[in-house]
Amino acid sequence: MIMNRRAFIKACGIMTGYAVLSLNMVKEAAASAMDFVGIRQKSVYDADANPKIYKIRKSQDNPMVKKIYDPKTGYLVDGPCGNLSYHLLHTHYVDRSAKVAALKAKGFKLNF
Amino acid sequence: MRQIEGVMYQTNAPKGVDPDNIFFVQVDATKCETCGECEEVCPTGVIQSINDAGIRAVVDPAGCVNCGQCLAHCPYGAIYEGVSYVDEIFEKLKDPDTIVVSMPAPAVRYGLGECFGTPTGTYVGGQMHAALRRLGFDYIWDNEFTADVTIMEEGTELIKRVKNHGKPGAYPLPQFTSCCPGWVKFAETFYPDLLPNMSTCKSPIGMLGPLAKTYGAKQTHTKAKKIYTVSIMPCIAKKYEGLRPELADSGFRDIDATINTRELAYMIKTAGIDFNSLPSEQPDPILGESTGAATIFGNSGGVMEAALRLAYEVLSGKKLADPNILAVRTHEGINTADVAVPGFGTVKVAVASGLDNAAKLCDEVRAGKSPYHFIEIMTCPGGCVNGGGQPLDPELRASLFKSTVARINSRFRARNTRA
Ligand code: SF4
Ligand code: SF4
Repeated sequence: MIMNRRAFIKACGIMTGYAVLSLNMVKEAAASAMDFVGIRQKSVYDADANPKIYKIRKSQDNPMVKKIYDPKTGYLVDGPCGNLSYHLLHTHYVDRSAKVAALKAKGFKLNF
Repeated sequence: MRQIEGVMYQTNAPKGVDPDNIFFVQVDATKCETCGECEEVCPTGVIQSINDAGIRAVVDPAGCVNCGQCLAHCPYGAIYEGVSYVDEIFEKLKDPDTIVVSMPAPAVRYGLGECFGTPTGTYVGGQMHAALRRLGFDYIWDNEFTADVTIMEEGTELIKRVKNHGKPGAYPLPQFTSCCPGWVKFAETFYPDLLPNMSTCKSPIGMLGPLAKTYGAKQTHTKAKKIYTVSIMPCIAKKYEGLRPELADSGFRDIDATINTRELAYMIKTAGIDFNSLPSEQPDPILGESTGAATIFGNSGGVMEAALRLAYEVLSGKKLADPNILAVRTHEGINTADVAVPGFGTVKVAVASGLDNAAKLCDEVRAGKSPYHFIEIMTCPGGCVNGGGQPLDPELRASLFKSTVARINSRFRARNTRA
């Protein structure tokens, strides 16, 4: 039963593929599907360039960034990568390869 | 289980557990139609057949980077999310003794509107802030502010690495970005030897959590222990990041809850808020104000462009007249650029969209052949705007016919991207 359904879906895919191909629409269809992401990306760049949404375009010019790093009165008074920054805003990483090695040893195949 | 914007969710708000043991996404075997689409888009290959019939499953959380690309591409809605804090957040919003802080990521404001019928990609930042206020969040702080802070920290770190290059004990080049939690777990799992190349900077949300409970608490005269921070992300892997045991530098858990764009839409709908009629509102100051450099973090190449807007000015001492650095904007694949900085020389950068592309750059670094100073990596093709927590592509499940076309196209694209 499940095999049948699987075969059916495969056949569906192949038939649709030919239908799409024969109309020479693969490229176009691919472009429109990719647009979904492309349209969101464009909207992001448009907002960045729109002074009604973002008056300032560089992080270092953000007045609240200037305030937090103010060399006299700022909370992060010793600047980016200063002591308090290292404590609050920086981190370390953990080697997690052992579990995946164990998984592979059990016979599972991964892409890396 | 509950359905949220076309995706099933387990109501599960883990606390103090090792996120390595959680399935953030998993296949419902009773719904899997064995089409193989998930396997096709999974960067690590950890979602695979578990029986002769071809039913898929995430075989072990160790190999999963929680990107959710499988979920976003399954035409049959067979893949569910294993973690949802929605109920807990509703409780905290009702509790007069808890100060609930909102922390939405850049890309959320380019996807959220789609759940309320706006065209794909419509910017709804102002309404998003208004909706968060209506939901009862006490402080409308914004992760874009710490995207700007990330640029300050990560840019400064890069300049340090470049200056100290070759000196004993110096951190190596290239420097990898560390904003994308799927990429970070990928590097920790598959390229642990490259961890010294990883920027030591937390991601923007990793920075906003502790700043909210220290600086934010101080500025607003709030007791830090009353603050409950809600990370709102276009991403599933951020749920893993929020649970990392080391992220507790404020003296408390830095991030108390993480939801994604779909869950925020669900909360707004459940609360009966008419999103489309909301006015555009500003976030609260102190930890809310942001710039164009912060918002482009949502796109592949955005962190790089924002960092270059800083590095150029710091290294050259000159003003960057045109902030658009088109060469690093990345839709798919790998982008490389040589950026000429007056008085300094050439900054060599690379941007990779998708982990198969990231692996190519990692292999170069491993072989000692990488010419770059700075490499940005995003797990999801195109960046966070295409994150696994964003509203789904409406075409994908529209009908079997359409979804078959969508599947063929996405395979076609995947092959093109890989080639
Ligand atoms: S994409 Fe969905 S239906 Fe297809 S094999 Fe994967 S889980 Fe099953
Ligand atoms: S979440 Fe990402 S890494 Fe995990 S199984 Fe799905 S596609 Fe693969």
